[in-house]
Amino acid sequence: MYEVLEHTADIGLRIRADDLGSLLADAARGLFSLIVANLDDVRPLESQRIQLRGAADEYLLFDWLAELLFLFETRRMLFSEFAVQVTDQGIDAVCRGEPLDDQRHRLDHEVKAITYHGLTLVAGRDGWMAEVILDI
Amino acid sequence: MPAQRFTGPLERVTAYCWRIPRSYKPGMRVDGLIFADEQLLAHIRDDQAPEQVANVAFLPGIQHASLAMPDIHWGYGFCIGGVCATDPAEGGVISPGGVGYDINCGVRLVRSDLSQEEVQPHLARLVEELFRTIPAGVGRGGTHRFSSQELRRLMARGVAFLKDRGLATEGDLDHTEARGCLAGAEPDSVSPRALERGSDQCGTLGAGNHFLEVQVVDAVFDEAAAQALGLWPGQVCLMIHSGSRGLGYQVCDDALRQLRHTPAKYGIQLPDRQLVCAPVDSQEGRGYLGAMAAAANFAWCNRQLLMWQARECFARVFGTPWEALKMNLVYDVAHNIAKFEEHTLGGARRRLWVHRKGATRAFPPHHPETPALYQAIGQPVLIPGDMGRASWVLVGQSGSMEQTFGTACHGAGRRLSRTAAAREAQGRRIDQELAARGIVARAHSWKGLAEEQPAAYKDVDVVVEVVHQAHLARKVARMRPIGVIKG
Repeated sequence: MYEVLEHTADIGLRIRADDLGSLLADAARGLFSLIVANLDDVRPLESQRIQLRGAADEYLLFDWLAELLFLFETRRMLFSEFAVQVTDQGIDAVCRGEPLDDQRHRLDHEVKAITYHGLTLVAGRDGWMAEVILDI
Repeated sequence: MPAQRFTGPLERVTAYCWRIPRSYKPGMRVDGLIFADEQLLAHIRDDQAPEQVANVAFLPGIQHASLAMPDIHWGYGFCIGGVCATDPAEGGVISPGGVGYDINCGVRLVRSDLSQEEVQPHLARLVEELFRTIPAGVGRGGTHRFSSQELRRLMARGVAFLKDRGLATEGDLDHTEARGCLAGAEPDSVSPRALERGSDQCGTLGAGNHFLEVQVVDAVFDEAAAQALGLWPGQVCLMIHSGSRGLGYQVCDDALRQLRHTPAKYGIQLPDRQLVCAPVDSQEGRGYLGAMAAAANFAWCNRQLLMWQARECFARVFGTPWEALKMNLVYDVAHNIAKFEEHTLGGARRRLWVHRKGATRAFPPHHPETPALYQAIGQPVLIPGDMGRASWVLVGQSGSMEQTFGTACHGAGRRLSRTAAAREAQGRRIDQELAARGIVARAHSWKGLAEEQPAAYKDVDVVVEVVHQAHLARKVARMRPIGVIKG
């Protein structure tokens, strides 16, 4: 699950999940829910594999979201479904979605970047929790 | 992450300046100074922006104080409205977060010889034409496409490159800060990813707080300066607010990634990772500065192409070439940038890297970098407010050199968070509310309009009054919006 957090100039996300893979998948949903108002209308027609190397820390979360943002900006791809496998080296993910269609997708925000301000990823007894602020 | 109130010290220096003493946090190298009146200060305490002013005071080589303008609000790393000058001779650093993701986000003002009476009958058509023509909104590419090689030349030469393509005039160059080209640009330091993001975005407005507005000169406060700027009451002008688009965002993102471990390498202690930095005189520092200047030049070209398209819209609607409508550029200023400038500190001339993160340069009359045409009045300072109330034109004053490294505010500053503003707008039609006030507004996204509604911002008149009273910049003219284009 994710929730949208108040931030004066920008927007934050707080994500909670049982495991890191689910957390990364929910964070990705959170990101695209800010970009497109009707995320549920994004059909899982095309898939894209993303592999990232890195320790299971907040930089991995950052790099994951930054990669998705790059794919949206340069390939106009909207993703709505994510299967993220955490490996010893990093992550191996499959994202499903479709290209942006002005007729069907209502866009909400231009996310300029993922930021490091208040960037948090912690594992506790109750699962994983992360916070990230997006530059709007 | 929630917006905690700032409970630290804010000591009164003058009626318009408040100090966070260096003793507030171990690690602060200088005081924090916030320019505001008591009314604004009450709001400023509501979030972590003053804490961010204190955090910036940790940066090695920082001079005088970590400064904030009256439009200060909570950002990431630096507050919005932050100013920080570092001295390379004292191990001073450059911090990409002190410039921001939107490198050379800025404002330009274009005048015309049209009065509101002449424009009013055509206003709806004009706004529609601008909305149809100017690429804006999330995921919208532009009509001007550049190959990677052309993009590199554009970033190296700035607006002069567009002049050679017939998309800028000599007058446009004369009226752009640094003639639309920051020296030291190194396009080869810009990553392929940044080039990919920017390839179709030069000449696009973007979204968020970026806008294009048709405005009317509402009131003139300094006749002589207004005359020098070619402004008169009732005159229709055009204001454009945009930056370096995806290319700049990616340049900043790349730099922050490269600098992730630099503070540890140079033994720099920082309270916030978004403040990562490198000594100016280091490979990392020089690499960022070359890429930043390239992105800054891209941004000036972006605003130039936006203006060019808008001029053509006016020409179509009024059936008159834009030159005959005298749609000349008044000025273009950057408000997210780092510049190497000469300043006097303790009686000595020093060359400093001045970071302005949501802050506008405000050089006084007779300063060598004030454009030749404006030497007598000072550098124009363009302050957009909100889409319902006003924007301002000021000119720099000598007080800015004495107090703020030649800087004034850059806007009204947000009062409400985006989520709070959208909540307040539930069930409302912001465009219809604006129409009732005589403003024709068109936006690609309801949420964009809701989050940018006038109530989301502080009253720009109050912010500008602080800048005026503190002698940072002098009020020249107040502008009122009549047509608004948003992403």
